Amino acid sequence: MLNRRSLLSLGAGALALSVSSAAFAQQPTYKIGYQLPLTGNTAQYGVDFKNAAEIALDRFAKANKPFKVEIVFEDSRSDAKEGVAIARKFADDKAIVGVLGDFTSGVSMASAQVYKEAGMPQLSQTASHPDYAKISEWQFRNITTQAQEGPLNAEWMYALGYRKVAVIAEQTDWGQTVVSNFADKFKALGGQVVFSEFFNRGLADFRPILTKIGRERPDAIYTGFFYEDGAQFLKQAKQLGLATPIHSTSAAYNQQLITLAGGDSEGMKLTATFLPTNPAANVQEFVAAWKAKTGQAEPGQFPAQAYDAVNIMLAALERAHAAGNVTRKSLRDQLAATKDFPGVTGNTTFDANREPAKQLVRAQVKGGAFVAVQN
Amino acid sequence: MDYYLQQLVIGLSLGMVYALVAIGFTLIFGVLNVVNFAHGEIYTIGAFAGLLLFTSFAPPLAAVILIVLAVGALAGVGLERLAFRPFRRFTDEASLKSRAMREATLMSSLALSIVAREAIELIFGSQFQAVPFKLLLNNPIKLGPVTIVDGDLVILGTSALMLFALQYVLKHTRVGLSIRAVSNNALGARYVGIDTNRTIAWTFAVGSAMGAVAGILVGLYYGAIFPAMGFSPGIKAFVAMVMGGLSSIPGAVVCAMIIGVSEALSTIFVASVWQDLVAYAFLIVTLIFFPRGIFGGVRERV
Repeated sequence: MLNRRSLLSLGAGALALSVSSAAFAQQPTYKIGYQLPLTGNTAQYGVDFKNAAEIALDRFAKANKPFKVEIVFEDSRSDAKEGVAIARKFADDKAIVGVLGDFTSGVSMASAQVYKEAGMPQLSQTASHPDYAKISEWQFRNITTQAQEGPLNAEWMYALGYRKVAVIAEQTDWGQTVVSNFADKFKALGGQVVFSEFFNRGLADFRPILTKIGRERPDAIYTGFFYEDGAQFLKQAKQLGLATPIHSTSAAYNQQLITLAGGDSEGMKLTATFLPTNPAANVQEFVAAWKAKTGQAEPGQFPAQAYDAVNIMLAALERAHAAGNVTRKSLRDQLAATKDFPGVTGNTTFDANREPAKQLVRAQVKGGAFVAVQN
Repeated sequence: MDYYLQQLVIGLSLGMVYALVAIGFTLIFGVLNVVNFAHGEIYTIGAFAGLLLFTSFAPPLAAVILIVLAVGALAGVGLERLAFRPFRRFTDEASLKSRAMREATLMSSLALSIVAREAIELIFGSQFQAVPFKLLLNNPIKLGPVTIVDGDLVILGTSALMLFALQYVLKHTRVGLSIRAVSNNALGARYVGIDTNRTIAWTFAVGSAMGAVAGILVGLYYGAIFPAMGFSPGIKAFVAMVMGGLSSIPGAVVCAMIIGVSEALSTIFVASVWQDLVAYAFLIVTLIFFPRGIFGGVRERV
């Protein structure tokens, strides 16, 4: 018994010694948590984020910085309960100074309650619900909200001469904001919303809804969906012979939409913050790194946002390190001070409400690719 | 008027999709009297197997269906071996009649379905697989005021063929007769010398082959092949089976059509988010008012 105890304390002593000597000998390492869905129905998004984050981290490691960064990935399955459990785990880990994620607004907002209490800076690459950043001073996001995108699309569609528009979006917090932000502006401009409905995410058959939309004879359809639902919607619209122009949000902006819907996606218009065809050096560097790492085609907007979110976090960490004080509080303050960060999704500045202001471009599917258009 | 007709036609095609899944599901329930929760995953396996065949060898549709039938039958037999047979290792009367032994397979089939789904997800990822466009069964056909697609005809033909072939097999072949005997009284069938294990394996082979074919056909119909694709049709098939009186295959088919048509017609009156509620409403109404299925008290199995 005595033997074992003395052995144990000896081991603990040796461990403490090696840890402290390592800390003296090496550069400091800061840990960042990243909660994202790596399994379950939304796993493809989380896997994309992880790849983008690893590209950013790799680039950082090669840049010879005075400190090291480690990212801890945790799988939330896009489940709010899992998200909260991960948030508690991250908050309890004293080494973690900042958190990225989650994917959906719902999970991000549930986790945000924990981060708010624990005082942990949280930066989501995709949570676009208006209330997310309002939760506390600790929440940041790197995505334009529908409050910006909806009115822009309303003006665009009104300028194209559409007066009667049908609106359809997925039945989520995000989908609600797609409809309300667009409809408010479109009505204010003098247009008419003749049809407004929601669908359950992952709906197999859109034909009953499409038939219903067709009966209203709208000039155009404004949609709030992600690429998989979008591909089904576009294919079945074509199948039923519905020739109404379709507009969408940046959420549908994904090369996979064109892969899945093929010619049926031709002509769809949407707004986006990232186009892989942008000739800027940093965009092309990211696109090339993405292709090399994943073996896939060009990245969509979401991985680009994740890449920027990680880089924004790393830049804030660098400023905090230079100031000689890396804590959760100092990292939050440095994040809030982000100004004109040159990312692949445009320059990012956080305003007083920790919302990013970004430039949106108009794009259209033409010849099997998203291309920038004037109108 | 055209609008209502179009919705009715869409409802019928939805119903046929559910019916296609419900046939195999009900057959398996009939013989063991337990729900096979892994039927949805057999459906998914069928779809992935078919897609892999198409993309690697590009055989004609008929050949793919035959191979998918075989894949489904094998998967079904494997499923029975792993999740069902171990719970029948005691052959004394008390164990055979034990509800606990039987219902343990609810859990084991559920467990296997989760393993299968997660495995497919690990290999292929959870996203939609890209289905080559020329294979899609969604070329529109104009029929006067309404539009259907060629897939509707394929699915209608397959469902009808399955239904009649199954009726023939069950009424006129040795395997079919022994399936009906085991389903009627497993213990009695054993006493008169029927190899119940073999019969049950056959039932899984036939039911799962049908489930797998349903998977590839519906996958090509919607162009949506992904690991979780079996869940929603599995639920609808389950409700159709309960409505149809648990072990009546024609009853399940009719009820699947009723569910499909009701779902499509419901969108005329209410927002489409309530569409999924239709099946659950039917389930509750059936359980409360028609505990033996909506076609009444006849309790003949299979």
